[in-house]
Amino acid sequence: MSVEIKNLSYTYSVGSPFQKDALHGISVTINEGEMVGIIGSTGSGKSTLVQHINGLIKLTSGSIKVYDIDLTAKKPDLKRLRSMVGMLFQYPEYQLFEETVLKDVAFGPMNFGATKEEALAAAEEAIRLVGLDFDEVKDKSPFELSGGEKRRAAIAGVIASKPKILVLDEPTAGLDPIGKREILNLILSLKKAFVKTVIMISHNMDEIAEFCGRVLVLSEGRLIADCTPAELFEKEYSLEGTGLTLPHTVNIKRLLGQKGLSLKGDTLSAPALADAIAEALRRRV
Amino acid sequence: MSRDITFGQFYPANSFVHKMDPRAKLVLVIAYIVAVFLVKSLYSYIAIAVFLIAAVLGSRVPVKSVLKSVRGILVIVILTAILNIFFFSGGERVLFSWWKIKITVEALLFALHMALRLIFLVIGTTLLTLTTTPMNLTDGMESLMSPLKLIKVPVHDLAIIMSIALRFIPILIEEVDKIMLAQKARGADFESGGLIKRAKALLPVLIPLFISAFRRADELALALDARCYNATPKRTKYKVLKLGWRDAVGVIILAILIAAIAAVNASFWGLFGFSFGV
Repeated sequence: MSVEIKNLSYTYSVGSPFQKDALHGISVTINEGEMVGIIGSTGSGKSTLVQHINGLIKLTSGSIKVYDIDLTAKKPDLKRLRSMVGMLFQYPEYQLFEETVLKDVAFGPMNFGATKEEALAAAEEAIRLVGLDFDEVKDKSPFELSGGEKRRAAIAGVIASKPKILVLDEPTAGLDPIGKREILNLILSLKKAFVKTVIMISHNMDEIAEFCGRVLVLSEGRLIADCTPAELFEKEYSLEGTGLTLPHTVNIKRLLGQKGLSLKGDTLSAPALADAIAEALRRRV
Repeated sequence: MSRDITFGQFYPANSFVHKMDPRAKLVLVIAYIVAVFLVKSLYSYIAIAVFLIAAVLGSRVPVKSVLKSVRGILVIVILTAILNIFFFSGGERVLFSWWKIKITVEALLFALHMALRLIFLVIGTTLLTLTTTPMNLTDGMESLMSPLKLIKVPVHDLAIIMSIALRFIPILIEEVDKIMLAQKARGADFESGGLIKRAKALLPVLIPLFISAFRRADELALALDARCYNATPKRTKYKVLKLGWRDAVGVIILAILIAAIAAVNASFWGLFGFSFGV
């Protein structure tokens, strides 16, 4: 078990007219090695939930345990927690600040207590891992990079401290289809390297359907579903009222079913769907 | 987090004071400030206090939010009071004296006087921003300043600059929060260390903040241009400001207050033959 959340509730701005309940009694356990997607409409509490995992929001009710760090403790070791849990925010390129890409990526490891040499070595590794040309970008200002490169540099900054858990808040927002695919493939390759558990917030059902083994659905601060994408998308009713839509693959399967072409097996990812359609057509012939 | 710093931020409520015309409120606040400076006797402060309490109650803003503004200047108030106690000269009734330090009753009263004046000033002006949206406030200012158009002051441009500036405060605060979270997640520490270390720790927040502020300014300018915005002199308003009975009530009450203070002052100077004497 890598993250254990029990009965977590949170309210913003207690006692002011802006008071807002963000989370209601969330309990969920995320195991090492999982790739978990979190979906829910805007304001459903996704960001509040993941920020708790990193100790960015102070726990007010309920309990959270990340590996051996208990966040209910009086003074949890936040530095160690944050070095273990990498957190990539929305539009992470807006957090770049250093003079050079290398220095910016080394910012995390330096904060977590690495020596300068260690930090620079970790930064180099991270920059190569995200697929940037190290020799070309290391001395460039991060602001000279292109949009997609900036996002990669920002990701490198998060993974340079070698987190075991990687939390991503809409990692593909604002990218073109090719850029999206590249970032998702990057996340997969990171998971093969040292990141053990990935928790990903997304509005893109297609991404969730294809990449995540498990999906948590939040609606108005409550956890309303915790299952595999296949289970979730098979029963459409559970998405009603959450403002969420089905992935394209599920819709296509449904439409084909109405036209009399029933598909078998896993059809959640686009390639799998294509195979299933081919298979069904072959059966027909 | 940083939201707490912005005391005096608009507090939504449906109240007498909220419904007043921003122009009336602006004029009343200016008159109120004059009134506070007119006060020469502690009795008048009672009148001001009664007026303030009535205004706060009439605004339905919780007293806690109003007092938050005082907390922000408490250090200044205490400092002024202490300085006044020690440096007031010309007191006669000596309470305490040691070496060159002499504390007199007059000094204490004067210090109290100054502290009250500061507190009343801040509460009164905070009430304006608590009960008026920035939009209304700039509208009111524009309307009040419109005579200046005759001498070619670009009043409308000034108003739009002000409303954009006000509009951007919460956006930038939100941005600061976001960037701080992101840097904290990368192990940045904003809470420990001395002054210099803390100032340095803010660099990773300030640089992205400035960059995004410039980006936003650029985008906004482009959006304004794209919609052919220009500050032509004859623009109509969606919400036309209108003076109502509430404004008349406010003006009358404040007029009575100022008259009362003036009367107390006059009697203080012995014009009516008796003195409240402080």
